[in-house]
Amino acid sequence: MSAAGTLPPDERRLAVGAAIQDTRADKIAMACIYTALGLFCLAVLYPIIYVLSASVSNTKRVAAGEVWLWPVGFTLDAYKAIFDYDSIVSSFGNSVYYAVAGAVVATILTLLAAYPLSRKGLPGKGLIMGAFVFTMMFSGGLIPTYLVVHELGLLNTRWAMILPTALAVWNVIITRTYFMVTIPEELVEAGKVDGCSDFGFFWRVVLPLSKPIIAVNLLFYAVGQWNSFFNALIYLTNEHLFPLQVVLRQILIQSKVDPSQMPDTSKLLQLKELQQQLKYSLIVIGMIPPLLVYPFVQKHFVKGAMIGSLKG
Amino acid sequence: MPNDDFRPPGLSRRSLIAGALGLTAATAGGGLLSGCSGSSTTDSAAAGAGQAAPSVTLGPKLSTVQYPQGYVGPVARTLKPLTTEKVTFKIVVKQDVTIGDWKTNAFTKWLEQKTGVHIEWSQIGGTDDDVMTKVNAMIAAGDIPDAFLGIGFTRSQLFLYGAQGLFTDVGQYIDAYALNLQQAMKDYPDTRKLIQAPDKKIYSFPGINDCYHCRAIDGRGWLNSAWIKQVGLAMPQTTDEFREVLRAFKKADLAGNGKTIPFAGYKDAPIDPLLMNPFLYDPGEPWLVVKDGKVDVAFDKDQWREGLKYANSLYGEGLINRDVFTADEDQLQRYGNAPGKPLIGGARSNYWGNFLDIDQKDPNARWRQYEACPPLKGPNGVQYAAWDYLTVGVEVAHLVITKKCAKPDLLVRWADAQYELEAILRGYGGPKYAWAKKGELGINGKQAIYGFDATWNSQKNINWSQDNPMYRSQDFRLGERVQPNDLTFEKPLYEQTKERFFPHKQPQEMQFPPVTLDQDQAAQESELRTNLKGEVNQSFAKFMTGQLDPNDDGAWNDYKDRVEKIGVRPYLDLQQAAYETYNG
Repeated sequence: MSAAGTLPPDERRLAVGAAIQDTRADKIAMACIYTALGLFCLAVLYPIIYVLSASVSNTKRVAAGEVWLWPVGFTLDAYKAIFDYDSIVSSFGNSVYYAVAGAVVATILTLLAAYPLSRKGLPGKGLIMGAFVFTMMFSGGLIPTYLVVHELGLLNTRWAMILPTALAVWNVIITRTYFMVTIPEELVEAGKVDGCSDFGFFWRVVLPLSKPIIAVNLLFYAVGQWNSFFNALIYLTNEHLFPLQVVLRQILIQSKVDPSQMPDTSKLLQLKELQQQLKYSLIVIGMIPPLLVYPFVQKHFVKGAMIGSLKG
Repeated sequence: MPNDDFRPPGLSRRSLIAGALGLTAATAGGGLLSGCSGSSTTDSAAAGAGQAAPSVTLGPKLSTVQYPQGYVGPVARTLKPLTTEKVTFKIVVKQDVTIGDWKTNAFTKWLEQKTGVHIEWSQIGGTDDDVMTKVNAMIAAGDIPDAFLGIGFTRSQLFLYGAQGLFTDVGQYIDAYALNLQQAMKDYPDTRKLIQAPDKKIYSFPGINDCYHCRAIDGRGWLNSAWIKQVGLAMPQTTDEFREVLRAFKKADLAGNGKTIPFAGYKDAPIDPLLMNPFLYDPGEPWLVVKDGKVDVAFDKDQWREGLKYANSLYGEGLINRDVFTADEDQLQRYGNAPGKPLIGGARSNYWGNFLDIDQKDPNARWRQYEACPPLKGPNGVQYAAWDYLTVGVEVAHLVITKKCAKPDLLVRWADAQYELEAILRGYGGPKYAWAKKGELGINGKQAIYGFDATWNSQKNINWSQDNPMYRSQDFRLGERVQPNDLTFEKPLYEQTKERFFPHKQPQEMQFPPVTLDQDQAAQESELRTNLKGEVNQSFAKFMTGQLDPNDDGAWNDYKDRVEKIGVRPYLDLQQAAYETYNG
């Protein structure tokens, strides 16, 4: 401050300017970055706003193309109509159930698998890890998997949605890396010196230090469950157990297909009205839960995913 | 998402293709697996068949029901219980939000109460392709129900699984017990030919749904009659008049602000049958026709090229929407439902609902302005309506009984009971029907038989949609009451089809029938058809939009070479063989 104060006014301005002013190239770069990010943000935001607006607009006016940004003819009929369909309401509940239960079960399994694999002393570690990775590239295929689920008596139970494919090897690898990086061997030794058992150490030391990776796992698994329909399709034949995605598929995709396959126009009309009425409100219902969860997991998410994936 | 990595990769797609093909690794395994798990059930099935066949009789006719003169179709009778002991069948069905829970569905309860047959439902969710994936998995795993209801097996799939012994040949039971179906087969003499596999066996209980206007669905287009009046012209009859009308629409700019689209098409309703039938008979994809007993394709003929030139000139003049090959139905709806005035003077679509909202209550609704554009007469006098004689009407696979079923005879009688008039009405419509009074008229202007409140289709959980076996003859369908104050779209649809399309139908011998392929043929056919379809559709789009010039001999010959290389010949040989099998 005092040094600058002794400089003649012209030179002082120069010094301050040089420290703050961006070069031309920097300015252009920043402008490009902001434009690109802005466009990207728009590209992501616009469909969401459109769907939200369309879902609270008069369906006739949506079909007429009058809605392009804000709602036209505000109404909540589309949301009320959802409650007319028992299968949609119950499937929403099922989806929440599967997402929560599936995420918890899968996260516990992942932590239990990843921690031992992150420790140096585990005998046969390479072999076990190899076996895990093997399943990433080769799988038994649909029919054998179906047979296993069938023979285990899981078909048509909620367990069929939670147990098969519960564990994602990808998540195990991320979690293992996280443990290797954040829980140094020295900490384990310190624990042992103090008389802590392996389980005690895991429970008292590892878990409290692993909030970010637990959050990441929970989120990955929950979103995976929320979006998945294939297991439900293959393993469930009781409508009361169906998750939302299966019902969504049926309404949104089925009613779009080939009108010439449909022998009856009144049926076609019925499907069309159903789809027009419910399309957007269903999409909104389908995206709300993940949207609600993201902000809470966000801060852990970045940290956990970065540490887990960067250093291997 | 990470979970995806763990899911059997690519399998859904593979089985999806398999669904279309009717064969897959799953199937091969299926034959094997079911071979061992099924031995015990085959015995019981045989025992069921061997039981002394009770002479089956139908209940007495209901006297309250009015029938028009010369009526051919289902008759209302008192349904008799089919069994006194408690019988339960396990049946796999599709989930459908409009049907709701099959267990609590109104028709389920009614049918059980009438027949005494209890059904335990397994419901499969998702799209039709999803459903086939699941069904293939079930079959492969030997996890087989007593029957499949409303699952869309193709004729080739029925034959494949039937020949493996997985699906029961119901022919003998139909002959012994299905009195209603027997009558329907007399009413529709082609039925047996259409439902039997190449080995003369019948692997599914059929449904008959003779939808009159559906027979003209492939080439149907619509024009705004109010606009035609405004420009002082008449409904076009020839290709030239069609062009004149579209030009006049464009010139008069009836939508305003230069937004007028004289005629629109969209990707889900191919426009080629509309534009080609003035030049040659074009039934639409896969463009197979029969000429003097020989199977042929339409898309490499010189007349096809003439059609391309016509399509190209219409498009070149801006008379057809730019996005005719890419627009989806939502887009078409935006053109048709545009606030104030519609943007389109006409559209190629199966019915009004594809490009407009249908308001059946409003006598001045916009959809009522649009009338079916009759098949156009080409410069050489060709004028075909591409009438569908064979694939509309008799449908296979409504009820497929498997070898797991211990009492196939009873299940056949259960299916046959659904051919009774009241059961039909409740099955596809629901309990809110009413018998027509004497003097009330139906869609065809004769005495009506029954009527529904126009809002029936907004209710849920009351019917089985159209999944079950039923017998809806033409007279039955056209016997639906039309109320002067409640004008549904069925009547104009029927009348315009009858007046404008029926007179121009091509001879029935020209239509390629729904044939059944064996396993090898099906695999080959599927690949060839996919490739041919891609090439023909793409080239049609290119010729029409001017990316290729149909007047240029080089471009046309290149196109013919391309389809030749893909394999028109082997494709036709295969279809010819199947066609000959079909004709016995």
